[in-house]
Amino acid sequence: MKPRKAMTLAFFVVLLSIGYFSMHAAPTLSDENYSYHGDTRWQTNVTAAEETAAAEGKPIVVYFWTTWCTYCEDYNREAYADPAVQSKLDDFVKVAVNLDDDGGESARMQQEYNVNYPPQHVIITPDGEVLVRVNGYAGTDDFLSYLDAAEQRYASGGSA
Amino acid sequence: MNVGTVLLGLAFGAALSGVGILGRAYVADDDAYVAHVPKLTAAAAVLLVSALLHLTYQFVTTDYSNAYVWENTASYLPLLYRVTGVYAANEGSVLLWAAIVSIVAMIAGTVRGISDQHAKLVHGLTLGLVAYFTGMLLAQSPFASIRTAFPGAPPGFVPTSGQGLNALLVDPYMAIHPPVMFISYALLAMPFAIGSAHFVSLFRGNGGVFPTWHGSVTRWLRLSWLFLTAAVALGGLWSYTVLGWGGIWAWDPVETAILIPWLFLTATLHAVTAYEPTGRYRVLAPAMTATVFALVVYTTSVVRSGVFRSVHSFADGGIGAAFLVLMGLTAALGVVLPVTYWLLETDDGDGDGGDDRWLRRANLVHLAVLGFGLLTFVSLWGLSFPLLRNAITGLEVSVEARYYNLWSYPLVLGLLLLLGFYMDYDADGRTRALAGLGVFTAATIVGAFVFPSETWQLASTRPNDALVYELVGSASAASVLPPVAYAILGTVKRTGGRIRAAASRDAKLKQTGITLIHVGAALLVLSLPFMYVLAGQASVMATGVGDGSMDTTRQAVPGSDYSVRVLGHSRTEFPQDPAVGTYALSTDQVVRRGSSLNGSVQTVHGTVTDIREGPRATVVQLDGSSVWVGLAGNGTATTATTGERIVARGRLMWNFVPSADAVVLARAETVGPTADPPENVVPTRVVAEGVSLAVYEGNQLRASGIAGQRRYPEQGGMQVRDVVIDRGLVTDTYVIAGVSDGTASITVKQVPFVTLMRVAIVALLLGMSLVALFDPRHGAVTDTAIREPAHETNPEVAD
Repeated sequence: MKPRKAMTLAFFVVLLSIGYFSMHAAPTLSDENYSYHGDTRWQTNVTAAEETAAAEGKPIVVYFWTTWCTYCEDYNREAYADPAVQSKLDDFVKVAVNLDDDGGESARMQQEYNVNYPPQHVIITPDGEVLVRVNGYAGTDDFLSYLDAAEQRYASGGSA
Repeated sequence: MNVGTVLLGLAFGAALSGVGILGRAYVADDDAYVAHVPKLTAAAAVLLVSALLHLTYQFVTTDYSNAYVWENTASYLPLLYRVTGVYAANEGSVLLWAAIVSIVAMIAGTVRGISDQHAKLVHGLTLGLVAYFTGMLLAQSPFASIRTAFPGAPPGFVPTSGQGLNALLVDPYMAIHPPVMFISYALLAMPFAIGSAHFVSLFRGNGGVFPTWHGSVTRWLRLSWLFLTAAVALGGLWSYTVLGWGGIWAWDPVETAILIPWLFLTATLHAVTAYEPTGRYRVLAPAMTATVFALVVYTTSVVRSGVFRSVHSFADGGIGAAFLVLMGLTAALGVVLPVTYWLLETDDGDGDGGDDRWLRRANLVHLAVLGFGLLTFVSLWGLSFPLLRNAITGLEVSVEARYYNLWSYPLVLGLLLLLGFYMDYDADGRTRALAGLGVFTAATIVGAFVFPSETWQLASTRPNDALVYELVGSASAASVLPPVAYAILGTVKRTGGRIRAAASRDAKLKQTGITLIHVGAALLVLSLPFMYVLAGQASVMATGVGDGSMDTTRQAVPGSDYSVRVLGHSRTEFPQDPAVGTYALSTDQVVRRGSSLNGSVQTVHGTVTDIREGPRATVVQLDGSSVWVGLAGNGTATTATTGERIVARGRLMWNFVPSADAVVLARAETVGPTADPPENVVPTRVVAEGVSLAVYEGNQLRASGIAGQRRYPEQGGMQVRDVVIDRGLVTDTYVIAGVSDGTASITVKQVPFVTLMRVAIVALLLGMSLVALFDPRHGAVTDTAIREPAHETNPEVAD
């Protein structure tokens, strides 16, 4: 075996292992019905979520995100990793809309709530009335107070 | 049919007939009609440049009869950003690309001529690219009529205002980043043509193009490398100032897509400089040369076609599908063809003359080529495998910055150690160099365990992480220091000797360039990890902003040495007091556009010449014309007086009433005097809100200025940040403020080593320019010979 050939072979071995290992180490972002953000799980089917919300009488948090948005990663690291936020979010139906999806639902939601950059949260009643908007990034405490405000508005039957 | 489309059509015809003539001449080996090809090439170039100028003119004059112009600009933008709108979206970018490739084809054809078979083939391939791009533009034109955007509009309809430019692109860096990038991509068209022509020619038994074109390939590649480096740097600096992330690199798909060709081009240059026509790299160098452009097309397609939005977006035709086909073509010519040749080649000697020693300079260069190949693969794989996996299983996986960082980091350290070793080995011989390598490798491993503070850890590791992530992620950034030191020491020592020993001025300049490139690269690698691991940030809130009740004393920023004084608040709307003609139609314009305006909401202005009050409405005549403003209500609704100049907004009805051509149905709040127009009549394109502040570190003033955000209400409320950056020698102070509802949340970041990074980039660019210009063998300035000897040995790697 000549040195150069040995190097080239080693190169391909390393390349294939990088490919294989990295693929297996990648965290799941979404599967059939859910997408995962930080330690929280969000539905991806808006219609199904609206039905759930109507049945359970809960408001809906719609999270508009993309794979490349750095503030979304901040949410994953901060708010979504926070136990207080997680338990508060249980009072809502969670739907995540990927702004980059070409599906009709994503486009419909973007248009309906006039959203065109990530991250944004729009908290709505089961009928689609806006309760609270969180444009851009909010720290964990602010995020909690937005959720509280939404709950209060929902309870008092009003909207923003 | 409009002027632009005609220009594109003619350019397409010229390029395609040139390709046809050359193809026939090449296959039949006769020169019929070939004399026309230079004229056709020049024609294509002139036509495409004219089309580009025509589009630019339409942007400058905001000609909204063109849908592309309407989508990407607005009258309130300053001239510079009206011009940059030209390449704000796909169609304009492809036109720019096509125009530059056509100029490259014209220059290359003129310099070398197209008399021999090889030159015909190369020129045919380059011209083929021009034809293809132009065809793409015909399919999805930047000159499409506005009717395509408003299918239901009456004939002659032209909107009065444009959609505006994507807010993120309103920045000086973004004004020059795309052209620089496309120049680089276009320059790569020549190496691609030469590389793929080489294999076509080998398969036809004509002996290959590369040996005689080696010099010209080297020149094109170096020039492209220079521009591509500048483009990456400009993009990074743009994201540093505009996105407010406080960093220059986030591994988003677009950034990764430009890095992939850069890394591979770097690998290719190392292979091409070590190329020997009958010896080493005789297959790999031409193959890599052809592959670079295929990679450019691939990454551009992936990013531009919106495949990132979903795997299915190729299906909707247009530029996406055209890019897909181009991807297939360039991959066939640039990847499949060389690989096939390599597999079929029976003579498997690698031209080393039976030299089986492991430690040779040529082998070290080969390691560098392979190392850059691996780095390219890491980025390429990160960009591609989520798509593959999604397409196959429907499962979406996330590729985070960690993936790119943690896989690339050890490879980069390895490359730096290799660089130091190569230089040392060359200067001081085997034993000394091996000892040096041992010492610095050991220092690197030790460095991985040295933590001056816990922030030095490269990445946060998580439970059940992959082994590689745990290993590399838990290492200390200190591990970057020994390889960088080794690379710089080795480079300076060896090239220092070479600069002194060089016989001519050109050779001295080239060696200086080589030094600058390698030292610059090492410094860049040094600055990057620290820029992220040592960056610190802290925030403070200021209340009562804007109503005078704010606290203007210094407030400490908790958790840092910083304190902040908020000195004032400003809120500005653009355009400021715009001339009425920029947002409202005159009565003449209304009459001229006629019924095409029917039913649309319009703003009109004019002098009141008649007022008629009816029981249910008041109508006001403007300029004595057939244009009237109608107001519901009985005279209480308007305060307009005859002779006054007013402006009104509302739905314009054509032939609504018998005595008037046009009636604008306004409400009281949408009518007012021109001198003081009502709020909701004047369009607000940008709302800039910010606080002027001073940031102190201890008692030292660090930074002052206005920080805040610009909101674009007509673009979905999109926001961009105005940041205050104080550029320090070691550390930048970076201030972001979000101002809303009287509260400013102020974040102060410390970003270290930005100046070092800038110096490193300047060193890289300067070094690349020197090598590209003054290389005694293949410099752009020094090389005047068209033909070069077919057999040459390269002093760089000759043992």
